[in-house]
Amino acid sequence: MIRLENVHKIYSTEVTALRDATFEIAKGEFVFLVGPSGSGKSTLLRLMNRQERPERGAVMVAGRNINDMPDSKIPYLRRNLGNIFQDYKLLANKTVFENIAFALEVIGRPRHVIRQQVPAVLDLVGLGGKQERFPHQLSGGEQQRVSIARAFVNRPLILLADEPTGNLDPATGEGIMRLLDRINKTGTTVVMATHDQRIVNMMRKRVIQLDRGTIVRDQARGVYE
Amino acid sequence: MISRIRYTIREMWASLSRNLTLTVAAIITSTISLLLFGLTLLIQQGFENQLKLWTGGVEMIVYVKHGATPDQITYLEGALLSQTSVIRSVEFCDEACSSEVARTLFAGDPGALEQLLPAIPSFFRVIPVDQDSSEVLRSLKASFKILPNVEEVRTPDDAVDVLSQLKDFFGVRLYVISFALLFASALLIWNTIRTAMFARRREIEVMKLVGATNWFIRLPFMLEGLLQGIAGGALGGAILLFVNNDWTQGVRGFPDTSGLEGFVVTGNYPIFVCFLMILVGAFVGAVGSATAASRFLDV
Repeated sequence: MIRLENVHKIYSTEVTALRDATFEIAKGEFVFLVGPSGSGKSTLLRLMNRQERPERGAVMVAGRNINDMPDSKIPYLRRNLGNIFQDYKLLANKTVFENIAFALEVIGRPRHVIRQQVPAVLDLVGLGGKQERFPHQLSGGEQQRVSIARAFVNRPLILLADEPTGNLDPATGEGIMRLLDRINKTGTTVVMATHDQRIVNMMRKRVIQLDRGTIVRDQARGVYE
Repeated sequence: MISRIRYTIREMWASLSRNLTLTVAAIITSTISLLLFGLTLLIQQGFENQLKLWTGGVEMIVYVKHGATPDQITYLEGALLSQTSVIRSVEFCDEACSSEVARTLFAGDPGALEQLLPAIPSFFRVIPVDQDSSEVLRSLKASFKILPNVEEVRTPDDAVDVLSQLKDFFGVRLYVISFALLFASALLIWNTIRTAMFARRREIEVMKLVGATNWFIRLPFMLEGLLQGIAGGALGGAILLFVNNDWTQGVRGFPDTSGLEGFVVTGNYPIFVCFLMILVGAFVGAVGSATAASRFLDV
């Protein structure tokens, strides 16, 4: 599903974000990217959705090298990727329903499809009945659930999550992980950057560890070291 | 398709109302610049009309030397009438008639009248065929001047030249100012769109990440600029029509001797100028917003 070959990313002459990163993620896998701040976890995610381009190497997503993809095709690539962020990136002036509908609307989904899919995904993330609330009326965990619902409503092949539990207390974080696990079990590949040791150890999924841009460990059913 | 149209209009409206102050400022600038542009066109047309009136009503006065005999006058009249290709009509005013005219014209200056009357010349009032060109008037003047017993030939070509110069003088400068203002309003629209995009950078980021195409993101912003330009053009057009109507009514109330009776623009031309202003406004708005929407999409 995702393959990186000798990917090298430099932000400036002094900052090398990734050094010769090579790995492959199969369809339906759940992978943790771990490592300290500045180790290159977020850069890897940004390379996978083409927010960044590497200086060297290939980033293959669903069989295509997305570095060679023309800019005009990138929106269509991103329709197959869901993005979840630490700060949720919800639109404050829109309700829960509108936040999720917005993601479908901007890719041209018809109204009747939106009316059908949004309540379904809200039920899935456990927010049925809260669709008319605004983000500020929700707890942090609930806001992250809305963010997950928005990322998943289009049934993407891959979910890219950047520190989704970073702003949440442990119990709420666990709830979010259970939700992501459930989504993963539907066949969606999940790639999650985190430095939450407890969660990585609890989930026992594949762990790719980075240190100053270099992959230092790639372990199935790994733990945080 | 319908959902996209609905989305585009809704987002455009939301953006317009969210940046109300900037939107109003952009519309006012467009209105003023387009109003000046429209006024320039109308003033130019007013000069044209005035010129037509002056040259259209032109008459040349061929003064005959005092004391010319009836035979000499008849000969001169024959010479003028023989030039049917350039002269439409000739009317003679003898010395008695000329004295009457002088008494009217110099009623307020008895001294000048007293000096003039003893040697008052008779004259021919000549209407030329081609009345639109000061060049033609000059050549006629030169050819009539050499006829026997002609004292002097007077034409209004100098006044026509002054009016033409005024038209060019004002025309060029007004066009320069109105184009500078149009550029300013394009810049303001550009800035409004840039600000609107910056205000919505989070939405744009989300839109890009969920797979919205650049055109889909740009379109509401471009429509916003287009609408600002059209609103400026329409508002400027309405003001222009009002000002033109007011001026026309005012000129009608002026005395006949004001010389401004031709300096009005009526008929369909003002309406045409209004449509042109809306079109130019739309163009300026579209260019300003399209440039900003393309340039600042990576917010």
